[in-house]
Amino acid sequence: MNKPAAPFQSDELARAETRWREAFEESPGADTRIVNRSGIEVKPLYTPRDAPRADSIEALGYPGEYPYTRGIYASMHRGRSWTQRQLIGLGVPEDYNARLKEILAHGATAISLIPCNSVYRGYDADEVPEELLGTCGVVINSVEDMDRALEGVPLERLSCGMNDPSPFTLLALLLAVARRRGLAWTGLAGTSNQSDCLSHFVANHMFFRLALPGARRVLADHIAYCNERLPSWNPLSVVGQHMQQAGATPAEAMAFTLCSAIQYAEDCIARGMAADAFLPRFTFFFDISISFFEELAKFRAGRRIWARLARERLGAKDPRSWRFKFHAQTSGVDLTRQQPLNNVARVTAQAIAGIFGGLQSLHTDSYDEVFSTPTAEAARIAIATQNILREEAHLTDVIDPLGGSYYVEALTDEMESRIDGLIARIDAAGGMYRAVENGLVQRMIGESAHAFQQKVERGEQTVVGVNAYRIEENLDGYRVLEYPDRARIEAQIARLKRFKAERFAAAAHGGLDALARAAQSKDENVFARVVEAAEAGATHGEICACLRRELGFGQPLTIV
Amino acid sequence: MAEHPPKVIVTKLGFDGHDRGSRVVAAHLRDAGMEVVYTPPWQDIPTVVKLATEEDADVIGISSLATDHLLLPKLMAALRAAGMADVQVVVGGIVPPRDEKLLLEAGVARVFHPGAALEEIAHEVRALAAKARALRETAAP
Amino acid sequence: MHVRGTDADAGSLAERVRAGDRRALARAITAVENETGAARDVRAALAPYLGRARRVGVTGPPGAGKSTLVNALVKELLARGQRVAVVAVDPSSPFTGGAVLGDRIRMAETQADERVFIRSLAARGHLGGLTRSAGAVLDVLDAAGFDTVIVETVGAGQSEVEVAGVADPCVVICPPGLGDDVQAMKAGILEIADLFVVNKADLPGADRTERELHAMLALRGRGPKPPVLRTVATSGEGVAALAEAIEKRQAQGARVMSKQAPGELAAPTLPGKPACSRIKLRGKA
Repeated sequence: MNKPAAPFQSDELARAETRWREAFEESPGADTRIVNRSGIEVKPLYTPRDAPRADSIEALGYPGEYPYTRGIYASMHRGRSWTQRQLIGLGVPEDYNARLKEILAHGATAISLIPCNSVYRGYDADEVPEELLGTCGVVINSVEDMDRALEGVPLERLSCGMNDPSPFTLLALLLAVARRRGLAWTGLAGTSNQSDCLSHFVANHMFFRLALPGARRVLADHIAYCNERLPSWNPLSVVGQHMQQAGATPAEAMAFTLCSAIQYAEDCIARGMAADAFLPRFTFFFDISISFFEELAKFRAGRRIWARLARERLGAKDPRSWRFKFHAQTSGVDLTRQQPLNNVARVTAQAIAGIFGGLQSLHTDSYDEVFSTPTAEAARIAIATQNILREEAHLTDVIDPLGGSYYVEALTDEMESRIDGLIARIDAAGGMYRAVENGLVQRMIGESAHAFQQKVERGEQTVVGVNAYRIEENLDGYRVLEYPDRARIEAQIARLKRFKAERFAAAAHGGLDALARAAQSKDENVFARVVEAAEAGATHGEICACLRRELGFGQPLTIV
Repeated sequence: MAEHPPKVIVTKLGFDGHDRGSRVVAAHLRDAGMEVVYTPPWQDIPTVVKLATEEDADVIGISSLATDHLLLPKLMAALRAAGMADVQVVVGGIVPPRDEKLLLEAGVARVFHPGAALEEIAHEVRALAAKARALRETAAP
Repeated sequence: MHVRGTDADAGSLAERVRAGDRRALARAITAVENETGAARDVRAALAPYLGRARRVGVTGPPGAGKSTLVNALVKELLARGQRVAVVAVDPSSPFTGGAVLGDRIRMAETQADERVFIRSLAARGHLGGLTRSAGAVLDVLDAAGFDTVIVETVGAGQSEVEVAGVADPCVVICPPGLGDDVQAMKAGILEIADLFVVNKADLPGADRTERELHAMLALRGRGPKPPVLRTVATSGEGVAALAEAIEKRQAQGARVMSKQAPGELAAPTLPGKPACSRIKLRGKA
């Protein structure tokens, strides 16, 4: 195939461009200005002049090579498909186990466990209003619960994402289960999905369990522990998803996430860890909104920037440290309750953007998440969407298929520039911790949320079924997942009580005492004591209560 | 003398901590001329009753994402028990159709779903504040 | 005790306030806040019960951590066996007349306590840092039997000094990093302080702010200077000392009394103390 020698330099092409511009300006809509969510103006046409770096090895290069713009691995999805990691969480452990097996049978290739909101907040089932148990996630408080939830699931073969913030009790329970099953911890693969305490402080406060200084310390302990004992486990997932769901623009979400990653890296370096010792297991988690091209440009720019930050700012020398590994989830706030089946189309578009963006792992939302935790049918459609995109639409055949598109390269460059500017702003504010403590990040996100809402209210941003294409509809016809049976919940609470009664109480309490002492000390590894306490029979709620007492519960800053 | 502005509480019960919706609504109600007492998430029922009492609220707005709306019947009962049945309660967030009926039967005045226009919310809240005040005027001693 | 009733019977409302009915108290505050017909009568009925509560003003620029410090102070006072009321004043939007009253956000710890009463007020265009009726609202809380009533407001400008007219001591909170900006805090607000607090004292800049305050006070010439304290509101450090300083101030005798809104009854003076005011407040909105 012939490649032009230089982008559009010839007189003939310049004349063609002039002709095009004249014709375009005659057409309706020529004077419409289009600005994407990140504030970048989008032109009607892009030419090689807009993408001057498309040939450059420094900016684009090849997949698997710095700066990884085209993908972090040489073969990307052509070699191995993205991981299909659907979030699952509901009811009591048996309910979760059944749903998990069903979705695995339908093509999921990894686990992502969502605990009940009571667990997120750090409580056991016997401490909270019963009506809130098991409605949005699975109730897991003890090693027995975790064992039951993962009954018949090959932990040595499936990577496990634990959606569990500091102090990572669910991972501790998982390790206890692994020991019961005779599985080597060194073989356990997975990620601590909600380890990014800064993102919880800023947005999605539900996951914010410990005061920020304590959460920071436990995270550093956790990273150190995993480095030593769990070589296949990613202790950190830096999360942009919460902030974008809270209203951050795609550029902001990427920038703030990278700034958080820098802070965590600096915390590790301050503890004496070498950058290459921990960076290879830093992973990221992003939202995919329906602003299609903007999202895929966001991810490509993110890869390029992270590689640069890791190598130049954090001094990492190992190429594995420079690789921007991320999981992505299709955006829930883009979904509508109005005409819910339309959400299948939305999720499909979002998924494609993420796939073209070069994600490593994907969760697709179910269309009925606008009502409640998904029904089995809706959850199957969500996973089928991924299967269809891979196997029917062949989206894995070509690596970075949109690479070289003038628009995509130009937009990637623009997003990079925006993101760099936002990172500089956070740096000027003293880094992410300071910026968050002062409320700067929250204010910026709040303003973006407000601005977007205004666009929707004014009709400048169409939302099908909401401000356009509306219909009168009766939603009663949609099947919504039933809440867990009262009897099952009561049985679960009874089981917890029995567990506490039958365990070796002295060992459990001894584990909790040791945990408290570790939290009071400056040098002990708190997460190591969490694992020991869990193995000794302490429950999730007891471990969290202990650390709340020692390290404080914290209250995220709220800015209106 | 001009009516004093509607006094609205915007809060969250239960476990959920997502506050994008509640913040956007609180800001809009302010822009619509109302006085909004904004609280962080994770309030419990006795605290919500207490703060509605102290602030002499006309309307309580509960933002609910993750089935926390299931606590509303208890909140409504607690308000009635405290002699505060005149205070109007609205819920905004993710509420499945069958639960909406439940809430309205429990005394919730209105359930707003994602996509509800801010203008409509403000209009309704203002009307409910007037209703609360009218109920207070006519309440028997 | 929660008893329903109309405002029409102001005497009965005042009785219910005195009896500890929190709803009645809130309704009485609303009446006074809105200067309704009932307000005059309620105030008259409550007048004999004034003078018991300590009235503490807390002000300072945004970012000083006022609400967090008030929360910590309330905790301390509760530990000393007191019942505490807090009035938190926030500005209203000059364009829409609305307001977001967010001070309670930082008081999550204490707001659920039965011995605590928190009321948020919007300034409603009133300049000076308070509401027109703030003094009267404090009167109602005083008569309701609270041991300490704290009024919290934003104060950074020259004219936001009204709080000194309704409370004594007036505590001015400075965040560290103010540095040269101690001067930027404007003369008025610095002059009304009976107590200075450098909050967030664990942050860099606290020492400097403290020095700047002492230097500024030294320039005032002779005479007693208001103490300069240091606190870390988030940890409670220094808050006991603040409570002590307030106690000490109370023992020394109050400086001013409540301010009345025009046309209202003259607010009664604190029993046994002369009505006086140390600064002249210029004009009212």
